Amino acid sequence: MDKLFTFERITIEPPLRAICRRLGYREGLTQLRPDEARTLGDRIEQARALVTLKGTARRLPILSKAPGRIRLPGERCLESAQLASLLADSQEVLLLGATAGPDVIEAIRRDAAEDNLARAVVFDAAASEMVDAALDWMETFFSRELRREGRRLTKSRFSCGYGDLALENQRLFYELLQLGRFGVELTGEFILVPEKSVTAVAGIEPAG
Amino acid sequence: MAKGHRKFLDILGRRPLILDGATGTELQKRGMPAGVCPEMWCIDNPGVIAGVHGDYARAGSDVVYTCTFGANRVKLGQYGQADARSVNRQLARIAKEAVKDRALVAGDIGPTGRFIRPFGELDFEEAVSIFKEQVHGLLAGGVDGFVIETMMDIQEARAALIAVKETCSLFTMVTMTFERDGRTLNGTDPLTALVTLQALGADAVGCNCSTGPDDMARFISAMRPCAKVPLIAKPNAGLPRSSGGATVYDMDAAEFARPAGALVGAGAAILGGCCGTTPGHLAALRKTVSRRKAPAPLRKSLAALSSARRTLVFEPGRPLVLIGEGINPTGRKALQEELREGKTALARQMARDQETAGADLLDVNVGVPGIDQEKTMQEVVLTLAAATPLPLVIDSAKAEPIERALRVYPGRALINSISGEREKLKRLLPVAAKYGAMFILLPLTDGGIPETAEKRAAVVRTILREARRHGFTRDDILVDGIVMTAASNPDAPRETLRTVRWAAETLGARTVVGLSNVSFGLPERKWINAAFLAMASASGLTAAIANPAGEENLFVRKAADVLGGRDRDAAGWIALCAKTRDPARRAPAETLPPPRRLREAILEGNREAVGGLIAECLKAGADAAALAREIMIPAVVEVGERFGRKEYFLPQLIASGETMKLGMEALEPFLQESSREAAGRGTILIATVKGDIHDIGKNIVALMLRNHGFRVVDLGRDVAAERIVREIERHRPRVVGLSALMTTTMTRMEEVIDLARRQGQQCPFIVGGAVVTRTYADSIGAEYARDGVEAVQVIQRIIGPAK
Repeated sequence: MDKLFTFERITIEPPLRAICRRLGYREGLTQLRPDEARTLGDRIEQARALVTLKGTARRLPILSKAPGRIRLPGERCLESAQLASLLADSQEVLLLGATAGPDVIEAIRRDAAEDNLARAVVFDAAASEMVDAALDWMETFFSRELRREGRRLTKSRFSCGYGDLALENQRLFYELLQLGRFGVELTGEFILVPEKSVTAVAGIEPAG
Repeated sequence: MAKGHRKFLDILGRRPLILDGATGTELQKRGMPAGVCPEMWCIDNPGVIAGVHGDYARAGSDVVYTCTFGANRVKLGQYGQADARSVNRQLARIAKEAVKDRALVAGDIGPTGRFIRPFGELDFEEAVSIFKEQVHGLLAGGVDGFVIETMMDIQEARAALIAVKETCSLFTMVTMTFERDGRTLNGTDPLTALVTLQALGADAVGCNCSTGPDDMARFISAMRPCAKVPLIAKPNAGLPRSSGGATVYDMDAAEFARPAGALVGAGAAILGGCCGTTPGHLAALRKTVSRRKAPAPLRKSLAALSSARRTLVFEPGRPLVLIGEGINPTGRKALQEELREGKTALARQMARDQETAGADLLDVNVGVPGIDQEKTMQEVVLTLAAATPLPLVIDSAKAEPIERALRVYPGRALINSISGEREKLKRLLPVAAKYGAMFILLPLTDGGIPETAEKRAAVVRTILREARRHGFTRDDILVDGIVMTAASNPDAPRETLRTVRWAAETLGARTVVGLSNVSFGLPERKWINAAFLAMASASGLTAAIANPAGEENLFVRKAADVLGGRDRDAAGWIALCAKTRDPARRAPAETLPPPRRLREAILEGNREAVGGLIAECLKAGADAAALAREIMIPAVVEVGERFGRKEYFLPQLIASGETMKLGMEALEPFLQESSREAAGRGTILIATVKGDIHDIGKNIVALMLRNHGFRVVDLGRDVAAERIVREIERHRPRVVGLSALMTTTMTRMEEVIDLARRQGQQCPFIVGGAVVTRTYADSIGAEYARDGVEAVQVIQRIIGPAK
């Protein structure tokens, strides 16, 4: 089952509520004039045109589990007690990676340099939420496949740099997911470039 | 009637056709372990799958599906099985023997689990070949028809349908899986799926899996008004949920069958069950609907185009359709160069621009001499199919690029065009029919362009007669009025308009013109074009090929819709006017005194007004320093407070901040030197630390600080500790701000502070960023702020009140 799945174009609607929440909008508190709401909508639409979501995924068997340590094929290990706990019932892992592409990052930088930070923050929030939604999209895709196998994904997923899963693991994700094929690079500090690129891991466990 | 269809249609003539229920969950119940290949397990345990088929047939299913959902070489290959044809043949035979004459057997084709270009990496022809292998096996096993099911990707459904249609003429059903939001995972809505698949030759279209019967009625209702074929509903037994570690479905047989009447009422003529349903569910379903008539399709033909994500129906009374003409290399050197180099980025950009400008459809022409137009057309069409939701118009003088485009385009396209030239007609009509495309009928012949409307009408009738032999109706065409240049023939525009009027009123067909030809050779062409557009619209024009970015075309088109009764309550016109009125240019209420309006402008983030208001205040005698101190700074403080109370969110905070910045720049030349010093709060040095490239948060902090009178030295991102310390020595800042977003770069903050201290710098530090916490800040001897507003407050606290 160890093979790379490639998604050349992930088509999703911008998750408006999540974008607004990320920008600090609070239902019942934040007061938005109609023209401000229209400008926000237009900017999210502009961000949508700048974001090109692509992704890859890889199913890998878990060779062994020890407390705080998940062993994968090819002498690879993920060290994290929290991840090990999430994967307690899992026999496989599903690695996921997605990128929003370089165009939106360039637009954010250009806007920030040209005194249009107000638009840049909307682009930033929209790209962040869209790339996250791309991971949700891939999870939905695999959930459908897995249901027919009598399996399912764990309820949550984990990303490098969160909890006790060190950001240094990003190299393992980057290599296994072959994110370089989309022009994504990994810096010496384990940051994915363009910045609106993410990776995550979920477990595959029996449904019954 | 096509061969093999009668058995299905006979039942549909009497009552709804009943399919089977779930196979996978039934097999699991009957002993199939998790994780095995279901198809191979069934071959090893034929009695079990035969039992499932037999039970469904006995429960009243008219059609059972072969257990070949995953029997394609991609999925079988994952279990080490290579002979897809043999697996399909064996499983079809098991199904036929299990049901004998009690039910029909449909060869089941499911997704490969891979996405096809343009949505994935799998080549379209490879996908067709994968499915053909399956089709051949199923045919050898004796199936009565086919079902392509649980498709998430319209392109994959198309590949499978083409595989069946190129192999046999058996009755073929296609069902897609829609999420609760009413779209497939890949963004296709039910109506769009219907329009694309029925045009391509599906004999029945519908949905399966994903939802229970209640939600599915919505999807069927959306398809019903445009359906030329029977509609299928095969819902789950409710929504899956986890219970005690197992996936369960809530609806028992009676609950599942209860909404079936509503599904038939919504338009479903073919019903069955998906995940969680059992022979018991199907028996109850059959009982519930067996006395109902199967709803017949409402349409015999349909004038509609689709992309992968959108449908455009040419309904009577619809506003004028605008076909964007931009993606055409004629006269566009940059596009010619791009296409020659095999690039598609400019075409994608042009598609986006035309979409933004209000185009409904996009014309695509790649006619550059000397290039492989067939290959180029495929690449451009695939690129645009993923980049824009607008349906495409395939424009070529050659037949091969058109055929290639129609094969790979994941929608129902419009061909531009098919004329009465003998060879072209003979070559293109079968191609258009095979892929179910609409076409622009160009009334010219091998003898040239007829001059009068009457002669053009005669050519239209001849072509239409030929087209009817291939199954086309007048709903499948748009008659081109043929626009000639007014400058060279003053009668030409009139003949075009007469052709349009004849086609619209006498023939009852849709019409189109390529607008810009009319003004060729004349000055100020846009006005001639716009006037002609209005005249053609009044003559019954359906669509115009034009430049959507031209404001005159946009307004004339929408105005013509109002005057032609095609814009109910002038809603489109009013929306257009509201959109083009720039909201950001609202001036604060004129009745308020200028300083109040200046304050309002900052509170509202009105960048355009602030410079003028400052000039007005100064002209009225206001003191520049007092304006800053008493009006502008309190306003920006008020903005921060509103942000703190969540009354403002980030875009408002920043819009106000940028307005304040512009205001301060406008005020700067009028401030006395002494005022400048008094207003100045000192220097703050900020940077994103080495290794980190995220800087939007730092930029916000810089903006906030500047607006509160601080001089900010922003060193940018990815800045080494040594440089930060050098700049501290140089600028002597009152506070140093450090930003980092990642756990790996956050530690660099401590390095910077250590280095500064070692070199004798005692300035205070403030840190922030996504992963930075107050605890961490304390541990490295720094202050902490969670956002720009708090950063200003903390720094003000550190350095004390302003002088």
